[in-house]
Amino acid sequence: MRFPSQRSVADSFSSIPLDAGADLALKDGSRVAVIGGGPAGSFFSYFLLKMAEAIDLELEVDIFEPRFFTRGGPSGCNHCGGIVSESLVQILAAEGINLPTEVVQRGIESYVVHMDVGSVAIQSPAKESRIAALYRGNGPRDGSELQWESFDGYLQGMAVERGARVRHKLVTGVDWTDGKPVLIENDGHASAYDLVTVSAGVNSNFIGMLKDSPAGVAPPKTTRTYICEFKVGREGVHEIMGNAMHVFLLSIPRLEFAALIPKGEFVTMVMLGDELDQELVHAFLDDPTVRRCFPTDEKPVVCSCSPLINMGATKRPYGDRIVMIGDSGVTRLYKDGIGASYRTAKAAAATAVYQGISADTFEEHYWPACKAISSDNAIGKVIFGVTTLFKHSKISRRAILRMTSLEQEQEKAPHMSSVLWNMFTGSAPYKEIFTSTLHPGFIGSLVWNLAHGMRPSGGNGKVA
Amino acid sequence: MSDATSPEAGGLGNDERRLTPAYRPSQVEKQAPCQAGCPNCGDIRGWIGTVAQRDKLGLTKEEAYERAWRMITDVNPFPSVLGRVCPHPCETHCNRAEHDEPLAINAMERFLGDWAIEADIPLPTIDGEAGPEWVGVVGAGPSGLSFAYQMARRGYRVTVYEGREKAGGMLRFGIPDYRLPPAVLDAEIEKIERLGVEIELETAVGRDVSLQELKQRHAALYLGIGAQAGRGLGVPGEDGPGVWTGTEFLSLVNCGEPVDPGTRVAVIGGGNTAIDAARAARRLGAEVTILYRRSRTEMPAIEHEIDDALEEGVELVLLASPVRLERQPNGDLATLIAQRMELGEPDDSGRRRPVPIPDSELELPVSAVIAAVSQAPDIRGFEDLDQDGGWFLTGNGGAVGDGVWAGGDALGLGIAGMAIVQGRHAAEALHARFRGLAPPEAPENGKRLVGADEIIMEFHETRPPALPERLSPEERLAAPMAEVSGRITEEQFLAETSRCFSCGSCFGCSQCEMFCTSGCFTKLEEVGPGIYFTLTLEQCQECGKCVEVCPCGFLEVN
Repeated sequence: MRFPSQRSVADSFSSIPLDAGADLALKDGSRVAVIGGGPAGSFFSYFLLKMAEAIDLELEVDIFEPRFFTRGGPSGCNHCGGIVSESLVQILAAEGINLPTEVVQRGIESYVVHMDVGSVAIQSPAKESRIAALYRGNGPRDGSELQWESFDGYLQGMAVERGARVRHKLVTGVDWTDGKPVLIENDGHASAYDLVTVSAGVNSNFIGMLKDSPAGVAPPKTTRTYICEFKVGREGVHEIMGNAMHVFLLSIPRLEFAALIPKGEFVTMVMLGDELDQELVHAFLDDPTVRRCFPTDEKPVVCSCSPLINMGATKRPYGDRIVMIGDSGVTRLYKDGIGASYRTAKAAAATAVYQGISADTFEEHYWPACKAISSDNAIGKVIFGVTTLFKHSKISRRAILRMTSLEQEQEKAPHMSSVLWNMFTGSAPYKEIFTSTLHPGFIGSLVWNLAHGMRPSGGNGKVA
Repeated sequence: MSDATSPEAGGLGNDERRLTPAYRPSQVEKQAPCQAGCPNCGDIRGWIGTVAQRDKLGLTKEEAYERAWRMITDVNPFPSVLGRVCPHPCETHCNRAEHDEPLAINAMERFLGDWAIEADIPLPTIDGEAGPEWVGVVGAGPSGLSFAYQMARRGYRVTVYEGREKAGGMLRFGIPDYRLPPAVLDAEIEKIERLGVEIELETAVGRDVSLQELKQRHAALYLGIGAQAGRGLGVPGEDGPGVWTGTEFLSLVNCGEPVDPGTRVAVIGGGNTAIDAARAARRLGAEVTILYRRSRTEMPAIEHEIDDALEEGVELVLLASPVRLERQPNGDLATLIAQRMELGEPDDSGRRRPVPIPDSELELPVSAVIAAVSQAPDIRGFEDLDQDGGWFLTGNGGAVGDGVWAGGDALGLGIAGMAIVQGRHAAEALHARFRGLAPPEAPENGKRLVGADEIIMEFHETRPPALPERLSPEERLAAPMAEVSGRITEEQFLAETSRCFSCGSCFGCSQCEMFCTSGCFTKLEEVGPGIYFTLTLEQCQECGKCVEVCPCGFLEVN
């Protein structure tokens, strides 16, 4: 009787192709640099260390993040609307990550869609507040309530708990020596790593600096958005907004999307549009539909920014010993950037730990995760295009209002409600939304309501 | 839509209809607290930054050291000396104290001073400014030599008249060798002499030459005569053998004169002279007790010097003041009788006034008493000049009369740094008068002092300061003249410079450039401490992020 040698036993259990380019795999003591300590960087570090521990692999992970999420105002902020989608809240919970109450500024129970023809509230399909409104940093300027905690800071803390080290240093470049990345810090300090993960987002100029690297990455396309914070006071926020996010389908030229989100004592306004400028901001705020819901007179704006968002994937978000995740790589169109950060971070971490860190390995095991997001974005563009058509026609606006109102009041199959819900929350892939619009029930109901849209009707009146 | 690195034009900034106040940045250099704390107003942040930022500036270590040393010597020709003896008020003001410990500025200054001595770097001159005037200086102490240096480096002919046998003044005769080795002082004085300054030793005004003669010989005179006359205690029994003033005693010790204070020495006073005298007496083998009439908090001496004295076995008797000295029949000292004190209301100096406690006498057997209570100028030969109770009274820029200027301890007791700055100010004022220039402006003019709250301290990892190696108390007593405090190593020095926050001055951290997605900040080809980026606001989105990430308080909202 033949017994397999120890070697062959080990081989038979090994799914890790360490032999394929042994150099291009993480080993005990390998050093991993994560550039940018936002959600993508923290998720990546967290999963990388967790997966490494599971196979008894000891890694050294340095997160480079010069900023402090404990600081109020823009210095510790990562500039986004601050909505964590329902699906992500569920996924995080499944990972054992439950967002604490200090992080969640307000649980969102419903969306209110405002149109000139009326407003309609869409309740959370699960009837519980599982969308979180939160601050990425430590809240806007002039925050008088200091009990909140930064979302990004919370995630970073989790990565640190797993063993990552946060270095408050600015990385200003990456050199390549003998095929290994060498990080150059601003003070001239240089250190070599086995793997560099870029999670610097699109609101720093870091990825631009990688243009000349042998990794061959090209930065993604971007566009500007506008975000500002109205200081309203906790009572005012509750009275005006409730536990609802307010979105607007308005026929204002160049306006793509606008929403108001309640958070603590503030209301966050988020706008997407073509060539966003003050004229467009004011056109929105002065619109009668907006004023009916949120008259801005004497509500001071304490913080504003116009961050860039990713509008197209980085061409090749990987190379030997380098991988780009989150907004620096591929993200979802307009919505759920944090969800995309989670997905790309986890896929990159799994590839690095279980498969290897060569360009080919990332292409085989990481790129599919990116491609899935990209393809879904293509469908998303179609949906947003159709929505634009719809919102510019009064008849179709009436139809949407009527269809949604009826669904909400009479507990009918929530065709339109779930389409809108998923679009605004970013909770479902665009493909799923698109598929649901092909449902005969949806089409039938929409045609029926379009016919009714020829004459005016009110909303469901659930709006304050 | 655009490439992330080439932002689109326009956007939400630069528009009157904005909803928020315009958070537009501006680059405003501010005054650093170290500079505000320094009597000499040295650009401490500048010279530290030159070394700390040497890589960004493209300087080798040696180039950076030389440049930094020149920045120090621009205002102070004695970095090696002051790096040892200055009580460094700069460190007391350092914002880093709010984070961990203040920067070891004094130790860094000494490092550079010693480096320049060893590398034999000449003092920097200022070309093309001089005229034919020949200026005279009375007193080769820190004040007189600072004045001489500032005139000579501008090309003036300078002669210094010194009554003693060596130059250096209080630095030589008042500070013991274990704090300031004479070779260090010699080396820095020699650098001043190499600029052409003539020092005529053993030439005292009123003895070897008259003030009138000097006034006629020179276009202007600077008097840096110091305050070398120690004051007595004014108690019965004081006259006779075994009693010295602090300055007398230290001068004897420093000159290597035979001096025997016996086995039990009492030093009266709480200033640096008292501590120096006590430690010098201890090194001669005596049991030494310092009597001070207030509490330790009020002692004006440098804190760590007091600690050093205690480590060496010096006793400290606080809240006690001598009332009489009793002598043996042969005239030798026998007992010091002192009275206990308590602290009353604050006096003019803000310190609490000592009040005698009745019937609270204490006795101390003594072989010698050193009175280090106060000093005054020796104004013999200068009686004609403006004075107030034996101190020179100066007007504008340090003038005590027509063509005569004065500075240093003769105006009022102060630290060496104060004497040096007075010498420099007098030289700058005199030079301006000679050449018909506008009076010089202080470099800090118009700059706002940057506060600790404007610094993002978390940006810097906490790290202990550089501490030099020091002799143990046993080693000190075994080798009485050996320097107590060593020099920090080059590695320590470089690490220490990198602890500087660069308060109120850009050090090129690049965060503004990194986080501005509008490209408002452009890195300069030639950078230097305080100057790294140009700022153009046409694309500014007015988010204010650059201002709020700026860790040194350089950027502010316009």
